[in-house]
Amino acid sequence: MNAIEIQNVTKRYKDVTALEDVSLSFAFGKIYGLLGRNGAGKSTLINIIANRIFADCGEVRIDGIPAKENMGVHEKLFCMSEADLYDRDLKVKELFKWTDRFYDAFDSDKALALSEKFNLDIHKRFKALSKGYQSIFKLIVALSLRVPYVIFDEPVLGLDANHRELFYELLLEEFETGERTFILATHLIEEVANLIEEVVLIDKGKVLLQESVEALSETGYSISGTAQEVDSYCEGKNVIGQDTLGGMKIAYISGEKAALPQGSNLQIAAINLQKLFVKLTEKGGNGNE
Amino acid sequence: MNKLKAAVLYEYATKIKAMGVFYLIQYAITALIFAIVLIFTDGSQTGSNALEFSSVVFVSVIGVLGYKEDFKALLQNGYTRKSIFLSTVCMFVLLCGTMALIDTVIGNTIHHFAKQYFTLFGSLYGYSSLFANWLWLTVLYLLFCSLSYLAILVIHRIGKTASLLLAIGLGGGVLLVIALFRFVLSDKAVRAVADFWIRAMGFTGDGTTNIFFPVITFLVIGLVFGLGAFALIRRAELKG
Repeated sequence: MNAIEIQNVTKRYKDVTALEDVSLSFAFGKIYGLLGRNGAGKSTLINIIANRIFADCGEVRIDGIPAKENMGVHEKLFCMSEADLYDRDLKVKELFKWTDRFYDAFDSDKALALSEKFNLDIHKRFKALSKGYQSIFKLIVALSLRVPYVIFDEPVLGLDANHRELFYELLLEEFETGERTFILATHLIEEVANLIEEVVLIDKGKVLLQESVEALSETGYSISGTAQEVDSYCEGKNVIGQDTLGGMKIAYISGEKAALPQGSNLQIAAINLQKLFVKLTEKGGNGNE
Repeated sequence: MNKLKAAVLYEYATKIKAMGVFYLIQYAITALIFAIVLIFTDGSQTGSNALEFSSVVFVSVIGVLGYKEDFKALLQNGYTRKSIFLSTVCMFVLLCGTMALIDTVIGNTIHHFAKQYFTLFGSLYGYSSLFANWLWLTVLYLLFCSLSYLAILVIHRIGKTASLLLAIGLGGGVLLVIALFRFVLSDKAVRAVADFWIRAMGFTGDGTTNIFFPVITFLVIGLVFGLGAFALIRRAELKG
């Protein structure tokens, strides 16, 4: 099977369980959003996939090949990290040169062309770049590598709105020109909502849900009106969260839309991905939801 | 390009500049000392000898950087710990060989023109073989590289506080061993241990020297440190 398969992965740090029996898969040829609050376990999961840390138990396979300490997956996966792992004293062009030597799949010409698009000065040392341009450098490396699976950990950290737009545009271009899998781990859910096809939501070390954005938008909705009417409507439904303001109430419901009672003043609206994320993670980890 | 070769070249190339700066500073200072001593004495002294000691300090720092910098950078580029370890060992061999060559050539050249200057190897074994000098220095530098590589891996694994306690413990252990040798062990036992190490350093009982004994001794000790380092890096995780 062409996919990153994560099977029963658990990772503990002293008395903290960062991931608990996580099983999921990232299929080839899709753009995923890996969402979760700070400390939810996203980076831990990414670091285990990228062989930077080890799972206490469980296994990660990439296209059926075990990913742990295996050079066989070197040309299959690249992980752009939020953390600075590059030699800070090297110039950008030198870092491109070395990446080209490390990976058969690296396209140096593309990296240079993208540097021009982003106005990245390739003669500068990595440490002399601003935080935003350091992120841009890492994005360019990831976008110039034609490996089947690319993970972006907080890809737009420190980028201004223009550069963020450019990145999303280039990402889609890349996806259209060559089928592969992009996994975006980010907090900026609304920005990526139109890019991603499938969402993996992690909270407190567990997978809360893995579903397509389309299915999510079809199954989740909000209902607003007076508290009494809303409460009455919500009976027997899977309410994932609610907000109240005075006598008014909005409830967020997961499941198929039920018809409104006759003569009711309730209003139904679609629930956006960000709201769904907030409500699901606010409630806490319930794997059944 | 072969992945291991690329990693070795990366590790080596990123140290070359530091090595150049090190030698530039070292020989600039040495030239200054030589000039001062020449001006203020009758020229019978050089003011500095056995510059290889500073190279030992430098390669020890490289041993630390070999883990701290390169481990992160190569993990980022998809290398496994085993391949990182192999490439680092290859880099150590290349770097130590290069530095030993530079130190052998320059040290012996200085000695040739100023007999009062002595190299580390020359002061122990004489100046008869440049190859032996280079080989001995290479394995000596390798030993210190592997020692500092092991030390930084231990620090990474057990943390700063435990490392400090370990260092205190090791210091205490050294004092204890000295005390044992001075006050507890018999003269015969002390003599046997001393004889062993004298022979291991290549000084035979008949007044001659055998250069391969210290080379093998350094290699064996370096190998022990290296095996310890491999055992630790196999389970090393990226931190922070």
